[in-house]
Amino acid sequence: MNQLILAVLILMLGAGLCLLPIRNATRAGIGLVSQALATTVAWSVVIPVLLGSPDITGEMSWAYPIGDLHFRLDALGAFFLSWSLPMTFLGGVYAVGYMDKYFSTPRHLGVHFALLNMISVSFLLVYTGEHTVTFLFGWEIAALAAWLLVIWDYPNEKVRFAGFNYLVSTHIGLIFLVAAVMILYTRTHSWFLDDFGDWMSHNPGTLRNTVFLLLVTSFGLKSAFFPFHSWLPRAHAAAPAHVSALMSGVIHKAGLYALVRFILLLGKPDEWMGWFLIVFSVISALVGGLYTVGQRDLKRLLGYSSTENVGIAGIGFGIGCLGLTWDSPGLVALGFGGGLLHVLNHAFFKCQLFYAAGCVYQVKHVVDLERLGGLFKLMPITALCFIVGGIAISALPPFNGFASEFMIYSGLFTGESIGVWAKLTLGLVAAALAFVGAVSALSITRAFGVIFLGNSRDSSLPEGREASRWMLVPMGIHAVGTIVLGVVPVLGLAMVAGPTALLMRAMSNGVATVNMQSTMEILTRVGLISGALVLSVGLVIWWRLKSPKTPQPMLNATWGCGYGAPTPRMQYTGASFSTDFAAHFKSIMVLIKRKKAPTGYFPDDSYVITDCVDSVERRLYSVISHGDETATDLSRKMQEDDPRLAFSAGLAALVVIAALVLLAEGVLP
Amino acid sequence: MNISLALIHWAFVLSMPILLVGLVNRTKSWWVGRKGPRLIQSAYDLWRLLGKRPVVSATASPLFRAGAYVVLICSLLAASMIPVLGQFAPLQFSHDFVVVAYTLGLARIVLMISAMDVGSSFEGMGAAREASFATFAEPALFLLIGTACAATGMTSFADLIGHLHNTPHYAIIVAPLTIAMLILLQAEAARIPVDDPMTHLELTMIHEVMILDHSGPELAAMQYAAALKMTLYSGLIAALINPFNPLTDPLVGVLVSLALMLTVAVVVGCIESLNARLPMRWVPAYLLIASVAALGSMLAIGLGASGV
Repeated sequence: MNQLILAVLILMLGAGLCLLPIRNATRAGIGLVSQALATTVAWSVVIPVLLGSPDITGEMSWAYPIGDLHFRLDALGAFFLSWSLPMTFLGGVYAVGYMDKYFSTPRHLGVHFALLNMISVSFLLVYTGEHTVTFLFGWEIAALAAWLLVIWDYPNEKVRFAGFNYLVSTHIGLIFLVAAVMILYTRTHSWFLDDFGDWMSHNPGTLRNTVFLLLVTSFGLKSAFFPFHSWLPRAHAAAPAHVSALMSGVIHKAGLYALVRFILLLGKPDEWMGWFLIVFSVISALVGGLYTVGQRDLKRLLGYSSTENVGIAGIGFGIGCLGLTWDSPGLVALGFGGGLLHVLNHAFFKCQLFYAAGCVYQVKHVVDLERLGGLFKLMPITALCFIVGGIAISALPPFNGFASEFMIYSGLFTGESIGVWAKLTLGLVAAALAFVGAVSALSITRAFGVIFLGNSRDSSLPEGREASRWMLVPMGIHAVGTIVLGVVPVLGLAMVAGPTALLMRAMSNGVATVNMQSTMEILTRVGLISGALVLSVGLVIWWRLKSPKTPQPMLNATWGCGYGAPTPRMQYTGASFSTDFAAHFKSIMVLIKRKKAPTGYFPDDSYVITDCVDSVERRLYSVISHGDETATDLSRKMQEDDPRLAFSAGLAALVVIAALVLLAEGVLP
Repeated sequence: MNISLALIHWAFVLSMPILLVGLVNRTKSWWVGRKGPRLIQSAYDLWRLLGKRPVVSATASPLFRAGAYVVLICSLLAASMIPVLGQFAPLQFSHDFVVVAYTLGLARIVLMISAMDVGSSFEGMGAAREASFATFAEPALFLLIGTACAATGMTSFADLIGHLHNTPHYAIIVAPLTIAMLILLQAEAARIPVDDPMTHLELTMIHEVMILDHSGPELAAMQYAAALKMTLYSGLIAALINPFNPLTDPLVGVLVSLALMLTVAVVVGCIESLNARLPMRWVPAYLLIASVAALGSMLAIGLGASGV
């Protein structure tokens, strides 16, 4: 425990020192050094716990009404900490390159690095918090720090709006979480999560169901499940690239952590909870996937793909819940193991993709698909990292996304003896997952093809070149992780084995290590196949392309179908790539087209602009503005100084309070 | 035994792409009253391409040429796991069908990227169509596998297809599943009515337009991979219908399988001769037929198990 406290202190000290009036470069240095130190110190206890050492607990006495603070580092928390901390550090390294132009300006960069430190502090609090207050405290630190990181470019009104939108959404999520905690507190008179668990596992019923729904809503908002995702695309588009990367890949995984933590506390979930999670997640994956297709802004596209990927992980957790209900250790292992592995894999490839987007933004100053093109030749490392991440995010072999989806598919096509209808329903879910995979392959091909291949579409943009090493190295490390976890998926499985075993322990028929063993064998085989694929591709490409014996090809122009004067503007665009597909999903994706058709014999100005707007957000705003009008209307009609109105309002309030006291049935202390 | 079966599997998988393409073309020639090319004409064509020096677009990145070989390797890898003979595949393990589908998915994404790589206004069109039709085809395949999985309780591709013959509702579900598979074949192997390999108008093509800029050995790799995909799907159809188990009656099983695969090629050829390509906007609806057929057989399995 002492190491974790030391890590928190190092981070806080680093954050404090970052704010001193010194040079920006020194501040960044302090931030990075403290992050690296804290990560190393925390690892010294996190890794052993992850690999099977006993849990570490700590207590700290505090004044009334909070009482003693309990901390417990178990395998689940250790799993999340083991990659969250180093990835935040890598984000800091990336920030040095990304924020390069601010180093020589009066802008206070120390705040930025201090906030990154606070993010790490929040991980340590949330992932070890056994006491509700420290848990919520860490939760809130993460929310506020992320908000402040998002609005780095605050003079821009759009950025401020995106930040505010995020702040409001995340606090609506907090309200649901607090509501659930209040219910649990009234029942247990305790602040400790394990007491909550005790109560929940012994009292299934309406109240437990309410708590479950409140928690899923709150965690859904945190991790941007559909339909609680509307804050996400804006925030991701507005934030600096590394902040988007950390938010999507690392910070908002806290929502999934909390979901698994509460499922663990829940004991044996009801059957509907598993199915509810699966349906909720499938919808999230489908809608998130569909929305990636229409986006013009690369960072918005990647933001929506977060909604898709938390959905995929959620499907895994849903299968795991069903496994807990049905006492089927195989399903628990594949469901939770696959879901958690997908969380880890997503952290690797999503950060990598956002970093690549940041590299593009750094040199071109735009991330609009329709204005870019031909970047492969100018920035080959970024392009390769993007396509590796893209193949991984489409869950294709040989990279890591495939390993986790393979596990989830294995859960969906389970060989365990469950009911035929359940099996068929899970088959339907698998078909939905296959659809999501194909859709994300579509949008990644579209993004990669339009941005990195072909020729540049807009000559007014600055010349491209590879971004600085500060940015390439973190991206490269993530890419290596993506490849290694793809070719040796057993490594990832070893990391999730601990937390999965924790969940299996909750089952009535004891620990079933056999299932983990067979999963491991199959994943080894999958890894071997991926490795063989990488190796044979490498060999053949060397033989055909690089070997001195093979004749070099002749260069010529692209086949123009007989047309001799093509321009880069005639290349296939992102909008044209997605229009045909999007036409089938008009009811879900709102495509707004603005166009001016060419007229006359010598048409001069004509254009067509396609934008994909978020239907949830549109609906939300229309409801809000409608409510706004209604409220204005009401207040105009009411005479506020009318005493009758004041008295009746007071009476109504009293009645409501009395009713609440009666309904509480004496549970209040 | 298994080694010789594996050898037969590979002999099938490697030679059939040539033969099936030849047979489809022969069938089409027969319908229009021509003599038609030799059965192994495509082997000569591929040989000729292998000897040529490729011409590559100056716009293309290194991914362009590498792509063709990735597509070929992925298709060969998938071929090692697909039970074309029935209840047998050289590489067989639990949930191998996910690896098959996603390896072919990798081949598809690499093919699309190669198409986008030359910065053409046509090839992106083919890629967009391929991508969007794939989203309709992929779920059908998984529904089909889900049906077989629920019916047999098995988890590897070869066992799923092999044990399906012994399930009580086999007679009901075999027809819809075969239809679904045939539609998938037409979509994945770029045949009429989804795509027309013989058209000469870039605006109406899917697969052909994506490989417009490929030449020489790369074109050969792409064409062989496409023919291989057709072989794999026709092998799956044969395995669905073939009542003989290659593990117990190897000789009859293999021979029937061969006959069935050739029949599939003739059927594909007949469909191509008697139908025109569908308008592009109807293709998703056509592909949905495959999903609906698979869903229907799912329903049959479910109702059957509930004793209706």
